[in-house]
Amino acid sequence: MSAPMQDAPNSIAIAEGRQRDLHARLRRAYLAWVDMYVSRGQWRVMTFCYLALLPVLVLFGYVRVLPTINAFILSVYKWELIDPIRPFVGLDNYWGLLEDENFLLALKNTLIFSPSVVVASTLLSLPLALFLARKGKLSVVYQTIYFLPVITPLVPVSIAWKWIYDYNYGLLNYGLSLVGLPAVAWLTDADIALWALVIMSVWKHLGQNLVFFLVGIRNIPSVYLEAAMIDGADAWQQFRYITLPLLRPILLFVVVTSTINAFTVFTQVYVMTLGSQAAPGQAVRVIALDIYYNAFQYLHMGYASAESVLLFIMVLAFTIIQFRLARSQKEGLDG
Amino acid sequence: MTSKPRSGKGVDRRTALKLAAGAGLASAGGFGFARPAKAADVTLNVWTGYPELVPYYKAVADEYAKTHAGFKINLLSTSLREHEQKLSAAMPTGTGPDIFDVGANISIKFAGANLLKPNSAEIDQYMKANWSKYTIDFLSFKGKTYGIPLLEGRAAMYWNKAMFKEAGVNGPPTTFGELIEAAQKIVKIDSTGKMTRSGISMRLSGQGSGITEKFRFVLEPAGGKFIEETKSGKWHNGYDNEAGRNALQLYVDIVQKLKVDDPKVPHDADAFANGTTAMLFREAWVIGEIQKKSPTLDFGVAPIPRWDAKSPYKMLVQPWAVYVSGKSKNEAASWDFLKFLSQPNNARLITEMTGWGCNRQGVDWTPLLKKTPQFEVFVQPPKDVQTFSDPVIAVFDELESRAADKLPGLYVDSSLNGNPAKVAEAIKALAAQTDSILKTAGIYGTS
Repeated sequence: MSAPMQDAPNSIAIAEGRQRDLHARLRRAYLAWVDMYVSRGQWRVMTFCYLALLPVLVLFGYVRVLPTINAFILSVYKWELIDPIRPFVGLDNYWGLLEDENFLLALKNTLIFSPSVVVASTLLSLPLALFLARKGKLSVVYQTIYFLPVITPLVPVSIAWKWIYDYNYGLLNYGLSLVGLPAVAWLTDADIALWALVIMSVWKHLGQNLVFFLVGIRNIPSVYLEAAMIDGADAWQQFRYITLPLLRPILLFVVVTSTINAFTVFTQVYVMTLGSQAAPGQAVRVIALDIYYNAFQYLHMGYASAESVLLFIMVLAFTIIQFRLARSQKEGLDG
Repeated sequence: MTSKPRSGKGVDRRTALKLAAGAGLASAGGFGFARPAKAADVTLNVWTGYPELVPYYKAVADEYAKTHAGFKINLLSTSLREHEQKLSAAMPTGTGPDIFDVGANISIKFAGANLLKPNSAEIDQYMKANWSKYTIDFLSFKGKTYGIPLLEGRAAMYWNKAMFKEAGVNGPPTTFGELIEAAQKIVKIDSTGKMTRSGISMRLSGQGSGITEKFRFVLEPAGGKFIEETKSGKWHNGYDNEAGRNALQLYVDIVQKLKVDDPKVPHDADAFANGTTAMLFREAWVIGEIQKKSPTLDFGVAPIPRWDAKSPYKMLVQPWAVYVSGKSKNEAASWDFLKFLSQPNNARLITEMTGWGCNRQGVDWTPLLKKTPQFEVFVQPPKDVQTFSDPVIAVFDELESRAADKLPGLYVDSSLNGNPAKVAEAIKALAAQTDSILKTAGIYGTS
C-alpha cells in the first residue's frame, strides 16, 4: 500500500507537467497562427472584406436562400396562390408527382436533353479551345464569334432560332435544299423538336465552355509540354497525359455548370412552344416548363414547389456524383 | 478673378430663409386650402391582357379627361397569360391595379377570395339595363354581378373569296361536309408533295388552352360539349361520346387522310392574311389584322358550319369584363371611368379600333357595317346561330390546357388514321384526364 501512496505525488506532478507542456504548445501554435495568418493588418483586411460582402450576402440570402427554404416548406402544403387557405398535405404533392404523366414526361425529356447538351457542348468546345489556344492572328476573332451567343439575351435568340427552324422559310431548310436534302419539320415534328432544342442550346453554351477551357489550357505551364516534346511525346500523347489531367478542375467546373444550366432549361423551350407555328408542348416539355405551368398558369404553388424540390435534389445529386467521380479519378492518378 | 462685394441693399441669408419659410407656410396654409384638390385629380392604374386595347383605353381616357381635369391613367399591357399571372400574384398582396380586364375564369377566383367586391346596386342596375341576360349570368358569381362587360370574343369562319372563285366553289360552306369538299378543291400541293396552300387552317401545333378552344369549334357543332354541368352543379366531361369521336376523327382526317392542312405550313391569322390558307375559324380581331397586313384581300366572314344540314350553327361567345380591384384606393373614380368606358359610343369604338366585338345593347352598328361589312356576323349574328360559352369555373383554363397538351399529338398520330377504335380509345383517355382534374378540384359529378 505504501508504494502507491509514494507514487501518487509523482504521478500528479507528471500529469501537471504534461498539461503545462500541452498548454505551452497550444499557446505557441496559436501565437504562430496569429503571426502567420491573422496579423493585425490582416484582421483589418478580413473585417473589411466581410463587411463589404455583407450587403451582397444579405441580398443573396433574401432573394435566393429564403425562397429556396420557402419552396421546401410550401411543398408540403396545398396552396393555390389566390386562395388564402393553405392546408398541410404532408407528402401528397410528392406522391401526386409520381403519378403525374406530365411530370414523368418532363422528367424523361429533361433526362434526354441535359446529358445531350452537356456532352455535346463539352466535347465540341474542348477541341475548339485547343485549336484556338494557339496564338494565331484570327484566334481572337474566332473567340469573339463563338462567345457572341453567350452574351446575346436568350429570348431574342430563341425567336431567331424559331425562324431558323421554320419549315417553309427557315435558313436551315434553305441550306438543306442547296445540297439537295428534303426540308425537315424541326419544330412541328414531335420526334425532332427536342433535338432541335438541343442543337440550339449547344450553340448557345459552346462559347462559354470554350472560354473556360481556353483559360485552363493557357494556364498550363509550357515546361511540361516542352519536356514531353523532348521525351518524344506526340500531340495526342501531350493532350492525353499532360493537358487533359491538368484541365481536370476546369473540366469538372464546365460539366457541373453545364449540367445545372441544362437541367433548369426554360426560356428557349417556352419561346419555341408559343404560337400556332411552334413545337408541340408535350414533345419538348421539360421540368422547369412544367413547374412554370403548374405554378403560374394553374396556380398550384404547393405542387410546383414539390416539383422544384425534386429538381433541386436531382441537380444536387448529379453534381455530387460528378464531384465524386472527379475525386476518385484524381485519387487514382495520385495513387 | 475676384467676386464683386455685395451691395448693402441686398437681403442677407437669414432674411432670405425667413421669406422662403413664410412663402412656404403661406402656400400650404393659405393657397393650399383655398384650392382643394378636385375629385378628378386622380391617376388610375389600368392593366390589360390585350396590348391592342392600349390605344382604345388611351383614347377613352383622353375623352374622359376633357370633362374631368387632372384625370390620367397609367397603362400596363402584357400578353394575356402574363397578365393573368401578374394579376394572380399582385391581387392577394394588394399591389395590383385599380382597374383590370380579365376572363371570368380568373375573376371568379378573385371573387372567391374576396379580392373583388360585388357590384354596387347602382352598377348592378346599370348592367342589367344595358346588357343581355346571357352576359349578366356569365359575369355573376353566387347570385351577384362583378365588373362591367367590356368586349366579347365571338368565333366565325373567314373564307377567301378569290380562292373559292378560282376553285369554282360557290359561297361559304354551310356544313362541315361542304367545308371539306371546298378545302380539297382549294388546297395546293407542289410536285415534291409539299403543301403550298392549305384548304383550311386548323390549330394543330404549339401549346396552351387555345388548341382545345379551337377543338371545341368542331366539337360543339358535332353535338358535344367540353364539360357538362349536372343538375347538382357538378361537372363532367361531355365529349367521351360520338360527338367527341367525330370531332377528333375530323381533325385526324383533315391532316392525315384528306391532307387539306398540315402542321408544317403557315397557320392562323397571318396565313389567312398572306393568302396561304383559304379558311380559318377565328374571332373578329382578325379583320383588323387583315386590314393592316393585307388591305386588298377579298374575304368574307360566315358562321362556322353546321355539322350537317339538320344541325344548328354554333358560335363560341366569350364575354370579357373590366373590374375594379377590391383593394383600389380610387374606387369611386374607377367605377365612374368604367361607366364612361362602356357608353354606346365607346363600346362601338372598341370594335372600330381593335376589331374585338362588344356586347352592349343599343349600339348603332350601321356606320361600322357600312365601312366593314365583314363585322356583321360578329355584331349581328344570324338568328339561327346558337351560342355557347366557357363554363365559369376556376379550373377551366387548366382543363383546356391539359387537353391541349395531348391534342396536337393525336392529330398527327398515324395509328388513328382510319382507325375508329383507336380514336375512341384516345378520346376516352383524354376525357378521363378532364374528369380527373375536375375530381381534384372537388367539382366532379355525374348527377
